[in-house]
Amino acid sequence: MTTLAPLEERLTLVDLVDRVLNAGVVLTGDVTLSVADVDLVYVNLRVLLASAGTLDRLCADSESM
Amino acid sequence: MIDAAPGTGWYVYGFAADADSLEHAAADAGPIRLVRHDGLVAIVGEVPLDEFGEHELADHLNDPAWLEEKARRHENVLQAFAARTAVVPLRFGSIHGELDEVRRLLESRQSQLHGTIDRVRGRVEIGVKAWVDTARLADTLRGEEGASSSGTGREYLQRRRQEQRRLDEVRERCAELAAEAHGRLLSVAVEGVQNRPHPPELTGRPEMMLLNGAYLVPAADTALEAEVGRLAAEHGPFGVTYELTGPWPPHNFVDDRDGAA
Repeated sequence: MTTLAPLEERLTLVDLVDRVLNAGVVLTGDVTLSVADVDLVYVNLRVLLASAGTLDRLCADSESM
Repeated sequence: MIDAAPGTGWYVYGFAADADSLEHAAADAGPIRLVRHDGLVAIVGEVPLDEFGEHELADHLNDPAWLEEKARRHENVLQAFAARTAVVPLRFGSIHGELDEVRRLLESRQSQLHGTIDRVRGRVEIGVKAWVDTARLADTLRGEEGASSSGTGREYLQRRRQEQRRLDEVRERCAELAAEAHGRLLSVAVEGVQNRPHPPELTGRPEMMLLNGAYLVPAADTALEAEVGRLAAEHGPFGVTYELTGPWPPHNFVDDRDGAA
């Protein structure tokens, strides 16, 4: 990540990931080569935000999950 | 049969109702291929499997910069199409080896997809989040209850018990406020869902997220916004603030009924 996004953008990013990874039609079956593991979403979000530089301390525990 | 080039796969962003203007949307959205079948379109893009293969994808999901870039790409593609037609968003990261497989998907889901498209056509998703400043809510509840203050030991214990009661009350009131908000927003929306509120370690905010709702509304309709305004005015004294996001493509209103497999 090159620069630190403003707070507003980061919040939008949580909403975005909440939708893009937590909602939408899920395709399953043989035809799918791969599909995102949605159980990881909240772990990912913590990593995501921690990397933006605000929550490193708060997330220290969850990052080690 | 069109195979992806060696080492690449087809990423499916979503489905849409076919329309002449989709070529423009595809042009806006960057390198996109449209797979058509019987009035339906799958919006696909070629992606490298060293990023999107089964194992690689799992690894990359934990790379924040990668995830951000790809999540934004996913959303931007869907929005380019949503501006021109009804879209059915897919969840992030659905990759196929051949375009023929994607075509078969359209075929096998044909009636469901037409149904979903009819349901979301001309409608958008609006996100509504409510936040509560629990200290302010506790103050307001204390005010409602009437102040009692005195200095003896017995009264101190009494106050401690009162504090505990207030904590319970705050929790109850939070649940009531969230339920009221969601109920009232549902009454002015076509459909609505209450998603899990983001935990504080995610939001980094001192307030607690009370409501993480998504509502499907007609594209030009302002009734939901007006209701959020009224809720904000009424719930303000309880330390509750509201936030709108969107309009989004209807991410939260396309699952289940489409019956994932």
